[in-house]
Amino acid sequence: MATESIKYVAPEVDTKTKSKTFPRPSQHTSGVVNWLTTIDHKKIGIMYGLSALFFLIVGGIEALLIRSQLWSHNMEVLTNREYNQMFTMHGTTMVFLVIMPLSAAFFNYLMPLQIGARDVAFPRMNTLSLWCFIAGGIILNLSWFFTGGAPAIGWFGYAPLTDNRFAEVMADMGPDFWIFSLQILGVASLLASFNFITTIINMRAPGMTMMRLPVFTWMTLVVSFLLILALPAIAIALAELMFDRSYGTNFFDFLEGGKPHLWQHLFWIFGHPEVYILILPAMGIVSEVIPTFSRKPLFGYGLIVFSGALIGFMGFAVWSHHMFTTGMGVVATSAFSILTMLIAIPTGVKIFNWIGTMWGGKIRFETPMLFALGFITMFMIGGFTGIMHSSVPIDAQHQDTYFVVAHFHYVLIGGALFGLFSGFYFWLPKITGRMMSETLGKFVFSLMFIGFNLTFFPMHYLGMIGQPRRTHSYNEGHGFETFNQLATIGSFILGVGIFIGVLQFIHSAFSKKLKPAGKNPWDARTLEWTLSSPPKEHNFARTPIINSRDQAWENNYGPRENHSEKEPLDDHGVHMPDRSWCPLITGFGLFVMVLGFLFHQSIDASGELVRNYTLALIGGVVFVLGVIMWAMEGPGGYHLFPKEKDE
Amino acid sequence: MTHLSINSIRLLTTRLCVLLLFGLFNSCSRIDHKQSALDPKGLVAQNQFDIFMLSVWITIFLFCVVGGCLLYVIWTFRAKSKKEANEIPPQTHGNSKIEATLIIASSVILVILAIPTLQGVVLMNRVPDPNDSATLEKLKLDRSQIDDAITVNVTGKRFFWVFEYPQYGIVTANELVFPASKAVRINLRTEDVIHSFWLPKLAGKMDLMPGQENFLWFIADKDKILDGEDASVAMPSVFNGKMRQVVFAKQKFTDEFEPVGGLFYGQCAEYCGNSHAYMSFRALAQTDEDFSSWVKKFQDHQNPNLQPSPYNPEQEYEEGAIITFADNNLGENAVREFRATNKIQKGQAPNLSKNVWEHANSDDYEIGKQLFSSLQCVQCHAVNRTGIGAKGPNLTLYGLRTSLAAGWMRNDKESLAKWLKNSQDIKFGNLMWNGEGVGDNHPLRQLENDDQKVNQLIEYLLGQI
Repeated sequence: MATESIKYVAPEVDTKTKSKTFPRPSQHTSGVVNWLTTIDHKKIGIMYGLSALFFLIVGGIEALLIRSQLWSHNMEVLTNREYNQMFTMHGTTMVFLVIMPLSAAFFNYLMPLQIGARDVAFPRMNTLSLWCFIAGGIILNLSWFFTGGAPAIGWFGYAPLTDNRFAEVMADMGPDFWIFSLQILGVASLLASFNFITTIINMRAPGMTMMRLPVFTWMTLVVSFLLILALPAIAIALAELMFDRSYGTNFFDFLEGGKPHLWQHLFWIFGHPEVYILILPAMGIVSEVIPTFSRKPLFGYGLIVFSGALIGFMGFAVWSHHMFTTGMGVVATSAFSILTMLIAIPTGVKIFNWIGTMWGGKIRFETPMLFALGFITMFMIGGFTGIMHSSVPIDAQHQDTYFVVAHFHYVLIGGALFGLFSGFYFWLPKITGRMMSETLGKFVFSLMFIGFNLTFFPMHYLGMIGQPRRTHSYNEGHGFETFNQLATIGSFILGVGIFIGVLQFIHSAFSKKLKPAGKNPWDARTLEWTLSSPPKEHNFARTPIINSRDQAWENNYGPRENHSEKEPLDDHGVHMPDRSWCPLITGFGLFVMVLGFLFHQSIDASGELVRNYTLALIGGVVFVLGVIMWAMEGPGGYHLFPKEKDE
Repeated sequence: MTHLSINSIRLLTTRLCVLLLFGLFNSCSRIDHKQSALDPKGLVAQNQFDIFMLSVWITIFLFCVVGGCLLYVIWTFRAKSKKEANEIPPQTHGNSKIEATLIIASSVILVILAIPTLQGVVLMNRVPDPNDSATLEKLKLDRSQIDDAITVNVTGKRFFWVFEYPQYGIVTANELVFPASKAVRINLRTEDVIHSFWLPKLAGKMDLMPGQENFLWFIADKDKILDGEDASVAMPSVFNGKMRQVVFAKQKFTDEFEPVGGLFYGQCAEYCGNSHAYMSFRALAQTDEDFSSWVKKFQDHQNPNLQPSPYNPEQEYEEGAIITFADNNLGENAVREFRATNKIQKGQAPNLSKNVWEHANSDDYEIGKQLFSSLQCVQCHAVNRTGIGAKGPNLTLYGLRTSLAAGWMRNDKESLAKWLKNSQDIKFGNLMWNGEGVGDNHPLRQLENDDQKVNQLIEYLLGQI
């Protein structure tokens, strides 16, 4: 397909006339404007990653406050409402503003490099996705400064606690911020997902068949499908909740005939696939790291890909296991119980295959590999407790206790975050062009591994001896103190470890002293490692023609017929699109519109409710204007004439 | 010097380690904590515990096998030198026979867990049919234990529990009294948000969903509660205040938890708002006789026909009979309860001299009773026959309760005084302080500096025995 694409000639005349109306910043833009208007998937990936790391610190501080409050019985570090706000914000932040965007950062940066593309299919849409994510993060955290403060409804926002009728602060705005923030974050994820799917389906280099895709790219594809199927459910739920709160509809208000059960179904039919949205990218990363550091191809590639897809789609059939104690009756609970057990099988398959990959290899224990091994063991423990919860009678005791808290932190920190950190240590040399200190990396791993287990392993026991979740305090005489103190100490160790890690990542981007990485420092296997570190603006000077699965490895060690080839250099060079202001304008319009909706209600002097949509309308106009400019601005662009070796 | 300090550091760390390990072992060795699911005392919880332990053994086995493989692989195939790290091992791509075997093996292991799970689901959701003798025999239940099951309708409110016994027509709050040898059916309802009824040692949990009635049942294991002791020791009776005495003597509300047989701790397990953490409750197991006595006493107290009536000269009164007279010493139109010291003949003129009628209660009690109305407590709380309110916990026989503020505090004078003076301080967001119609001018909010009134209220409330 790409053989024709290089014949493409930019319509230069058109560009000139149109650029007078809406000028796009040109090739030589630099500084802040360059970052604000960029449409380069690599820069977008970096911005995604940096903002997510920032929110990781914010969410981490919230977690440490929670742990301080639980140090001993009847502590008063936080009031009960503050505590409830903390766990709500911690959960929402970590899920929507940390793990998801960190995965998105890797998707953005790596997926086009792994499939031999010059960018994603819709670069400007990609930028809009970034700005929507940042707007969502800001909106969620703005809630701290307005009536009622941050939401105190839990990250799951169960109806009818979210109903105005049960608000614990007069005119509490927290839940509104939460609703709109999640809604706009959903937009960000949807934009990115459609983009990634289109890119993976259409823009693979010649010879890059689906079964030659790197597993990480496969997981990008699966997760993108999960997102576009799961997010509509929560979008509907959030819209209904917004109507309930702002316009007095009765979707969830049981006193008017609404159904709180409905919220739980809608939320979890999004929420369970969401769990796999969080873990599958980490699994993809680990599936790249383990073969590299074992110097062997992935054991059972087909099965790993298939089980990844199967986990994703079975994830849509098990949502009600979050609701075993809501009184669904014998048949429904049994069915969901069995389905949940079944999902353990493809998960187990992945673990077998990772071990199989290492079998017979030459294993090197560099930091990315340590995190990957940490991932396997920690995720295994999380998976085992997950099997326990799939059994309804066990869940009847565990539900909403610290046992569950331990379980999902094993999956989401020991699993997802360890996987993502493995990815950072693995790919940051590619991104920054510099190697990070192995010693410091191993120190960070040790801190995180010890801190993590010290925090969350005791919680299994705490749950079993009766400590309930989401309680800001516990009474004397329950015997919870010792293990809570262990957990609190552990959480600070974990926090320090993560913080040093984040500093190390940022430091590596700026330090000139670190050793240059070169093209392939780890002797890794996939296509991105054939490029220079950091990759050039145009990624590939000549489109590669793929002849095998682990192309970088085969180029170095494989037989001649497996080496990749290159399409010939073109007289026209590489056509690069211009930067654009439109995604930022559109995203800003959306942001203003959301603020307008958030603040449209007020009480006038006579006590009447007044609705004023001016700000929302202004935002809407900016949004529409942004879209129109987007459609009208010409393709623009410029041509690069890279040399053969210039990639 | 250096040598010494290194030695002392070593000593210190060793000591610390020993201390830590010992401490951990010490805490871990006990599993009979107040809300421990590891210490089941009833059929349903025992079943849940058994399945849990099965899953624990399965997963420990799997962890050892898979983890062992992992360790073996990491050790055996590690690159032992820089040179070896650059060697290229054989590039194998997979083995479908091994994969298929592992998939089948893991499915078989899941079946081992699935079968008891499905049986457990049925057990949790359905009280066994009393006519199904095979099942009863398997569960080691007697038919009468099911036939005479009691029913309790539980209503959750922020942040307390209402327990209604439809068979006996009585309503209580926060402390569920039940017969240890009978099945207990629990119907769960809520009037506000979602709560969850969790009684770890007896029943597991079930949510209280708005607009829907959920169900849960349990039956205590009497032998386990008694644990070889006499019922009067292991299950002190509630109706005569013994339970309260024993709990107060044994339970220090400190880090050491001394279990009282027959006393079970429960907790709301679904986040329900500000003071969700404080929404706990207790369940008190009783012998059949003690339970009947408690029910009888409760019914009598809530029976309007047994209310002390004004003195009627046309009636004969037994010794100890209680009647009411007007008593202006207590205030205008105030009525006071008097107890007959002797048998009172018909037609006798009312004679309030001490040797015929004595005060049934102290002055403080009587004033407290009036305050309970005049301070608008009755708007929300019902005590015996007094009061119209159902918004707050029913306070009938309140003096027999072991706990205050939905299981959070010990029900004694000091705690009650704190609670009455400023309940918001103790339980932020509670309805008594924040409910509909309670504002800054509400008499309740003026109690903070009025020790006398508070004491009178306490006298009245704890006098409900």
